[in-house]
Amino acid sequence: MLLELRDVHFRYHGEAPILEGFDLDIAHGEFVALLGPSGCGKSTLLNLAAGLLDPLAGEVDFGGKALTGLNRDAGYMTQGDTLLPWMTVTNNIGLPLELRNVPRGERRDKIERALKLVNLWEARDKFPSELSGGMKRRALLARSIIYDPPMLLMDEPFGALDAQMRETMHQELLDTVGRTGESVLFVTHDISESILLADRILVLGGRPLKVLEEVRIAWGKDRDLDKIRKDPEYTALETRLRDLLRAAHS
Amino acid sequence: MNMVSKIEAAAPAAPIPAAQPRRAATRPAPVRKSRLRYRLENLAWQIVLIGGFLLLWEYASDRWVPKLMVSKPSEIGAMMWKWLMDGTYLSNLWVTIQATFFGFLFGAGAGMIVGFLTGSWRRLGDILQPIVTAFYTLPRLALAPLFLLWFGLGIEFRIVFAATIVFFLVYYNTYFGVREVSRELISAVRIMGASRIQVMTRVIIPSALVWVAAGLKISVPYALVGVVVAEMLASDKGMGFLLSRSASQFSASGSFAAIAGLLVVALIVDWIITKITDRALRWKTVAEQK
Ligand SMILES: Nc1ncnc2c1ncn2[C@@H]1O[C@H](COP(=O)(O)OP(=O)(O)OP(=O)(O)O)[C@@H](O)[C@H]1O
Ligand SMILES: [Mg+2]
Repeated sequence: MLLELRDVHFRYHGEAPILEGFDLDIAHGEFVALLGPSGCGKSTLLNLAAGLLDPLAGEVDFGGKALTGLNRDAGYMTQGDTLLPWMTVTNNIGLPLELRNVPRGERRDKIERALKLVNLWEARDKFPSELSGGMKRRALLARSIIYDPPMLLMDEPFGALDAQMRETMHQELLDTVGRTGESVLFVTHDISESILLADRILVLGGRPLKVLEEVRIAWGKDRDLDKIRKDPEYTALETRLRDLLRAAHS
Repeated sequence: MNMVSKIEAAAPAAPIPAAQPRRAATRPAPVRKSRLRYRLENLAWQIVLIGGFLLLWEYASDRWVPKLMVSKPSEIGAMMWKWLMDGTYLSNLWVTIQATFFGFLFGAGAGMIVGFLTGSWRRLGDILQPIVTAFYTLPRLALAPLFLLWFGLGIEFRIVFAATIVFFLVYYNTYFGVREVSRELISAVRIMGASRIQVMTRVIIPSALVWVAAGLKISVPYALVGVVVAEMLASDKGMGFLLSRSASQFSASGSFAAIAGLLVVALIVDWIITKITDRALRWKTVAEQK
């Protein structure tokens, strides 16, 4: 297992417990999507995996070792805007490479590719204050996938993108993951997105948080997204998940 | 991801930082009028206002108000011209500018260093901050006799006096600037693999710079004020001396001419500082300029 949460307890100061004995396993190369009502604790789970929060009890293991401090083997695309306002788009996206001492030439190639991928080539010299909301999300996305960490933590990464861009990004994410063998822990509110991308979907809900349902998706890594969309099983899964989510809300 | 904001919430009870950094316009205003035209129009208004005031002054002097008290723009102009020609301005301004420069340099340097250390080293900050605040509340003028005793009548006295004023302004802005740095950004950069030093250079310093620049900008005129006050108290040179000498000779035009000289210096220095800080803060001003 790459990421393991064992019997984790967590609550924010002065609030009701969010996690009481929560377990989660993510295997090497596995793509896990989290679905659940707003405010149920999905971002909290990602923060625990990133080492930004410490469990009150229980254990968070990463790569077989207990996680102490921040998880530097994870790329984290947070729900909020964490672009550095004083750096241009290019420098923001290249920051993880720069911090990891990637040679300049290699850095430039990767940045160029990433900029073109998320369609920010024209905006490469702009500062974050000059970008639209969706452009910021795209820059964050490019920054989190540029350095191929063993695990990607993504909190609603495609929420603010237009439909066209989203389809491109879905394909790109699948290709990247297929190529690098990265694991992904992916939060979304979009049911069809979770079916298209994940190997396993966890429907979460309740307080304390529980896994209400675990759905395995058997299409593998080299799936054809257009074909899947037309598959009757896709529609069936969508209906099932919608019902589960409705139950999670009540 | 707002669980981190808890950590920042514990703001210490201390004087409000002297200057707020300019609010960033999240979106630049839509373009309506050409920027140049707008500026020219403003300039025209400013000229009209100031010109009107000077005319009124010229007219009112000796008619409504005794000339001995308010002088007259034309006489002040003549005095300024005379001082410009006989080198009075040059020699006295030079003395004042020198003292201001060094007072600013030492005060701002010390303020930034102490502010940065106490801001980034939490324990040290909690220990030192109340002490600094205690000194801050001390009236600076009360220290003047002591400084005179220590440094004599020379330029050192004026420099130290100005530096003590600048120090606190820059210190508070640096201290709060460093403390206000978003924890969220720091965590994000650390997860990407940044070392402590990289966090410092990539996040803390650029972020605090907004505040530091604001502190530097407002403390320049204060440095000038400090020097002029010190010159008025005890000196035989400088614009402050010129000012107090003119006043003691009941020369209103001399006083106004000295003030006008100071005004020009203050404007020039402010312009230079604005140019420098705007350059460092281009990421922040870029959205406002467009
Ligand atoms: N810093 C915090 N302090 C106190 N309570 C918090 C804090 N952050 C989150 N919470 C609470 O914890 C709960 C879970 O929050 P979390 O951000 O994990 O939800 P989420 O599932 O990611 O929701 P969404 O889908 O809207 O992003 C919420 O009820 C929220 O009010
Ligand atoms: Mg969330």
